[in-house]
Amino acid sequence: MEGTAVTVFEILRFLIIHWKCDIEVSKGALLEGQLVISIEGLNSKHQTNALHCVTTRDSLALLPRLECSGAISAHCLHLPGSSDSHALPFRVAGITGAHHHAWLIVASAGSLFGGMVLKKFLKEIQSLLPRISAKLTWTSEEGSYSQDMTRVTPFQMIFEVDEKPRTLMTDCLVIKHLLRKIIMVHPKIRFNFSVKVNGILSTEFFGVENEPTLNLWNGIALVVDSQHYARPKFDTIESYCSRIHPVLGHPVMLFIPDDVTGMDLLGELILTPAVALCPSPKVFSNQLDSISSVSIFLYGPLGLPLILSTWEQPVTTFFKDTSSLIDWKKYHLCMVPNLDLNLDRDLVLPDVSYQVESREGDQSQNMDLQGQTLLLFLFVDFHSAFPVQQMEIWGVYTLLTTHLTAILVESHSVVQDSIQFIVDQVLEQHHQAAKAQQKLQAPLSVAVNSIMSILTGSTRSSFRKMCLQTLQAADTQEFGTKLHKLFCEITQHQFLHRCSCEVKQQLTLEKKDSAQSTEDAPGNSSLELLTDTRGQAGNKRLKRGSSSVEEMRTPLHSARAPSPSEAALGGSDPTAAPLTPSGREACETHSRALEPGRASLGSRLEDALWLQEVANLSEWLSPSPGP
Amino acid sequence: MAFAPMGPEASFFEVLDRHRESLLTALRRGGGEPPSGGSHLASSSEVLASIENIIQDIITSLARNEAPAFMIDNRSSWENIKFEDSVGLQMVSHCTTRKIKSDSPKSVQKFALILKILSMIYKLVQSNTYATKRDIYYTDSQLFGNQTVVDNIINDISCMLRVSRRSLHILSTSKGLIAGNLRYIEEDGTKVNCTCGATAVAVPSNIQGIWNLVSDAKFVLIVEKDATFQRLLDDNFCNKMSPCIMITGKGVPDLNTRLLVKKLWDTFHIPVFTLVDADPHGIEIMCIYKYGSMSMSFEAHHLTVPAIRWLGLLPSDLKRLNVPKDSLIPLTKRDQMKLDSILRRPYVTCQPFWRKEMEIMADSKMKAEIQALTFLSSDYLSRVYLPNKLKFGGWI
Repeated sequence: MEGTAVTVFEILRFLIIHWKCDIEVSKGALLEGQLVISIEGLNSKHQTNALHCVTTRDSLALLPRLECSGAISAHCLHLPGSSDSHALPFRVAGITGAHHHAWLIVASAGSLFGGMVLKKFLKEIQSLLPRISAKLTWTSEEGSYSQDMTRVTPFQMIFEVDEKPRTLMTDCLVIKHLLRKIIMVHPKIRFNFSVKVNGILSTEFFGVENEPTLNLWNGIALVVDSQHYARPKFDTIESYCSRIHPVLGHPVMLFIPDDVTGMDLLGELILTPAVALCPSPKVFSNQLDSISSVSIFLYGPLGLPLILSTWEQPVTTFFKDTSSLIDWKKYHLCMVPNLDLNLDRDLVLPDVSYQVESREGDQSQNMDLQGQTLLLFLFVDFHSAFPVQQMEIWGVYTLLTTHLTAILVESHSVVQDSIQFIVDQVLEQHHQAAKAQQKLQAPLSVAVNSIMSILTGSTRSSFRKMCLQTLQAADTQEFGTKLHKLFCEITQHQFLHRCSCEVKQQLTLEKKDSAQSTEDAPGNSSLELLTDTRGQAGNKRLKRGSSSVEEMRTPLHSARAPSPSEAALGGSDPTAAPLTPSGREACETHSRALEPGRASLGSRLEDALWLQEVANLSEWLSPSPGP
Repeated sequence: MAFAPMGPEASFFEVLDRHRESLLTALRRGGGEPPSGGSHLASSSEVLASIENIIQDIITSLARNEAPAFMIDNRSSWENIKFEDSVGLQMVSHCTTRKIKSDSPKSVQKFALILKILSMIYKLVQSNTYATKRDIYYTDSQLFGNQTVVDNIINDISCMLRVSRRSLHILSTSKGLIAGNLRYIEEDGTKVNCTCGATAVAVPSNIQGIWNLVSDAKFVLIVEKDATFQRLLDDNFCNKMSPCIMITGKGVPDLNTRLLVKKLWDTFHIPVFTLVDADPHGIEIMCIYKYGSMSMSFEAHHLTVPAIRWLGLLPSDLKRLNVPKDSLIPLTKRDQMKLDSILRRPYVTCQPFWRKEMEIMADSKMKAEIQALTFLSSDYLSRVYLPNKLKFGGWI
């Protein structure tokens, strides 16, 4: 991780720690707020081969407007001169091999910095800066903005970093990954991340506010929508639940080796694992997917992602041994580290990834190459009898990032026991289901073969004719196929595994339906408002310039209802799935920003029709990486 | 002796002959042979048609999107068994059934195995070949798991289709032995003569196929254990008590042994006696010959000989003969439970003498094997005990 990414992460870390420790946020409450992160890079005029970015007053002024009006959000970032319709974030056309001077603007809205004393904050954050190669410029915002920005806390930090274009590119991907990781456990924090390099702009929203979550503890909640962790296979949408179902493990105390120097902790490090299968099967189909990969996510205190090392070496020594945390042999699985370092994916990328190499033993079972992923979340938290100070958390975090391997090695057996227990639980269920499925298939084949044997051996033509007619088969081969299919269908429904969330979704959907009908009238007015303002605004993500896209976007966003009904729609209409999560995130940001009545907009039928229409636009809409 | 006279003098069998007369009279009074209910000897085409009907029902269920299931009579449930003195244990006409469903994980395996064995039976009947239960098990031992599974399914199918096992072209290997004044011709034309020699003849596996049974025997003696049977063979009992027939099932009798005993009774109507140990196990074996077993009650009419009498070893004989205590064995807990269970069975109520003997056993809490009589002399059984019993009517 180079300059820009390090800077951003250090700042975010500081802000979140400060938020939790110094501001009176109750321990169990989720952090809520919005952060805007904007990077602008330009070729440096002062230095050869360097990119220098100047943050103009205008652009600064625009940013708050984003937050205040809410409805228009990032569409406002239509800056003069930046009319390039191919505004892909990392295409730095014409600038190759040059250094960029990147300015990073971090702004905030909402309650994030309420009550913070600016000078104190500045002093504290400046103490961080020697560790990162960035210069801090502080802008004093009081009175410099128009009145409609009352909702914005007048606070911005501007950092200056020198970076090569490629490094900047990578850092932006890293930042996006970090933001995704953060919102996975802080679902009420939203990020507005924009990058503008030499006039080419890209903006992305990160937010999961209306998505299903699992409340953990200490003010963090895990997002359980499985779309963040794995891409669903379209043909089996209905076989899988849209959520993951994490199983929490026993918290274990981590032992710190004596030779690890650092601050004396007035508390304990507690590791709590959580395991889930993604996607979680809903219906046990004929071919159960096997585990094909494992993703490990590391989180430190307060739900901050643990960044262990550079992205070039994502797997530390400890994790290189795939059996360090879980004994795979008992499941006849052979795991190898997955060294695929492709950062440019819309999923939440794991910190450590394993993939199944080959299956020992049972050769007859088909290996599904796109099988299920076992998700392992490791939450390391700091518990103390005394009130925890900000610097203490900071110290704990630093300790973990530098000495996690040593700590895990020291606490290996307790950690492994705790994780193994829940992995056993999760996989056992999976195993039992697979076994039950197999147990069913074998006898059915025997039954079908026996019937076929009698049918084909019979010399009574009336009997044979009657059998063929009953199943409407033209010949014995077709008869056999239909017989097998009927047996499978009839027995299949006995083994449907209904997720509890399905039942809840159904109930919520019914409630939404009834709510929608009563709130139709006020909803319409907000739709008109949306249309008007959209006409003035630019694209939120891509600068296609095509008006048809904008027009389509209008009903797209209006059709976006809060997640329960959305998920139900997704379930009923498989073509909805292709829309990328970030698109959905963006849409949800919009929906959130609109008036409450908007949730009732559009009937389900319109939504389904619309989603069908945009299904084939997924590739066109999703951003592609630069060179 | 150069030449021993064959059998005792004619007066020896007076009591036996009177007994036979009484049996025949009872038989005539009962209206001849009981009607053959339950299973019957079905023709091949009938068996094939039954199986095809079952398949048709399954396919029709599937076409209606219903999970097919077999309805099997609960052969092992006492509530489905009734007792008739003339027949013994038999299934009630409207017995409880259990469902073997194809959509239940617990029973889908059994459902499939029933179909598998049905298909094998279909092929056997079509090709007019026979196989034993063991052969069927070994066609796919992994699939079936163990022999008992196969045995039970075959019995279930026999009960379901209301045909005898023989009609299903499934044989059971016989373990029984027969010796004495009997000759017959097997289905394939083999002539068999069971006249005593040093060795006995194995009970044939196709009882229904034997014909032209000829015998002058005055009685049939069913011996529980092979050891006792061999002892009697060694002592030349058949010749000493000639004309007679001896038969053993070597413990719990198999179907063929029972079928043969029944056939001998049906053909000759001669008294049938049992010689069993004076213990609950022996009494139970005797009850199987006489009244039938619970599991095969659906075929009771072909298997039971209610005319059977208990010749020995009676618990009262132990006292009468002053058998020393060290020749006796205390009843185990299992013996006690078995004895209690036999005493509760419906047929004991019409056998007051048997009941009394069992009560003597229960009170003394002791049991004895037939070998206990060797304390008197090694050939006491064949030389004294049995002849006296037969001559003076010492049976109950």
